[in-house]
Amino acid sequence: MSRHIPSATSSPLKRPISVSRSCKLVHHTQVRHATLLKRPKRPYTFTQLVTLSDGSTFIHRTTSPISVCKSAKDIRNSALWHPSSQKLLNVEEDEAGRLRAFRERFGRGWDAEAVAENEDVREGEEKVADRDESLLDLISGFGQEAEAQGQAKGVRKAAQKSGKGKMGEK
Amino acid sequence: MALRDLSLQSARSLRKSSFPRSFRFRYNVSRNASTTTHDQDLEPSSSLSIPAPSSDLVKDFDPAERARKRRAELGRELPPSRYRFRSPKYYRGPLHPHQPPPPSDPTSRQFIPGPFSLPRLEQTYHSTIAPDLMTLAYTHFPPGYRAPPKAPRLRSWDETSPYHKNRPLRAPRGHTVLPLLRPPITWQNVPRLERVTVHAMVREALEDKSHLHVARMVLQAITNVRVTTHRAKGSVVGWGLREGRQVSVSAEVNGGDMWDFVGKCVDMVLPRIKDWQGVKGSSGDSSGNIAWGLGPADVALFPEVEVNYNMYPPKMIPGLHVILHTTATNDREARLLLSATGIPFYGKQVN
Repeated sequence: MSRHIPSATSSPLKRPISVSRSCKLVHHTQVRHATLLKRPKRPYTFTQLVTLSDGSTFIHRTTSPISVCKSAKDIRNSALWHPSSQKLLNVEEDEAGRLRAFRERFGRGWDAEAVAENEDVREGEEKVADRDESLLDLISGFGQEAEAQGQAKGVRKAAQKSGKGKMGEK
Repeated sequence: MALRDLSLQSARSLRKSSFPRSFRFRYNVSRNASTTTHDQDLEPSSSLSIPAPSSDLVKDFDPAERARKRRAELGRELPPSRYRFRSPKYYRGPLHPHQPPPPSDPTSRQFIPGPFSLPRLEQTYHSTIAPDLMTLAYTHFPPGYRAPPKAPRLRSWDETSPYHKNRPLRAPRGHTVLPLLRPPITWQNVPRLERVTVHAMVREALEDKSHLHVARMVLQAITNVRVTTHRAKGSVVGWGLREGRQVSVSAEVNGGDMWDFVGKCVDMVLPRIKDWQGVKGSSGDSSGNIAWGLGPADVALFPEVEVNYNMYPPKMIPGLHVILHTTATNDREARLLLSATGIPFYGKQVN
């Protein structure tokens, strides 16, 4: 019997500690003998009517509160899902050659050449080299023009540097 | 138009000619005779023949009055909390007298009502995709066919060494673990979408917690489900990752929300991604689960994010991993299922 009675010295020390612990447990962790049955939390969802680009519609549940969602770009007008569709292929219609003429006159140098050759530019390396030369011409020409007009030399230097950087990248 | 008419006409004439005359005659007879000869088969009793309730019974019928009387007899009405069953807040073990009802019970605290909608993609799956997949996977065995016996999947050790005794069996060739078996596909086990895990690891959350909050918001808006946060399991010095820090969020999407999410991805989000080739053909864990990633710019294309894009701080929208778990046991069938739902694949397909 005497063994079960705790000594007077130990009990006052132990008691307060255990009480504080249990208080902590209530707030933070689960006690083993009582599992909290949590109510499942679900975000509120609205019913939304989706209108695809071809006019077909369907209803789905979303968290978005907008009732009608119109999409401009979706599965119905995407080339990846319709690989054989001529309408979706991004081919330039240039029957009269007006676009080509415009590009020759105002377009960038490398574009005009590619169109003039009417070839696949990716094929050979020589063409790429040609393009780079033409680019270089453009840049150097730009610098000379500035010099001819009697502007500061620093500007020209900067332009040349940027041109070299581009070359390095390619 | 003319062609169609012609074909219709020919079909009609074909149908006419294909029926033998005797059959047609019999058909007509049975139709006309139904009023006369089959009357004996019909039950004579009818609810229409029962007389209406008497007028005094109708006059006495007043359920509201009856309820008022009953309440007056009781004295006063009990409050609803007194006689309605309330599920216990805690589960206190199997021996406790007050047991919570199962989660399917409407009185349960864990009850989730629904489903209230039948998603479009789910309808498509049940009406077209599942029968197609079953047809594609069908292998015919003539009656009396017996499958040839297969070698055991785990090899045994050849007893060349005395140390082979009592060893566990050898792993199969080429694998350290047993790959999943592929049972023959029947109407009961057609591959279907099981669940979708949407996961985002936010490395910036190590410095700034607000990145994690934004990721939570985005994920919840996209998936319609509550998001769980995960802590780092270990430290990786190179990434600045420390054990126990919250770094990632994920959402497990099931049921209708899952179909809505996949449908939304396929119909509206994936086509909007610039220069997207599709899901890589080598994606998959070789047991029927296929994943792909979406960059931060692609996540902003979701209609829920797009609607109030300004709500999310710029550059805080996370990239995502979308993992589709299917019941298919190999990647080939899973890919077949997903491409039927509209997800394109590119490159060499690795199974």
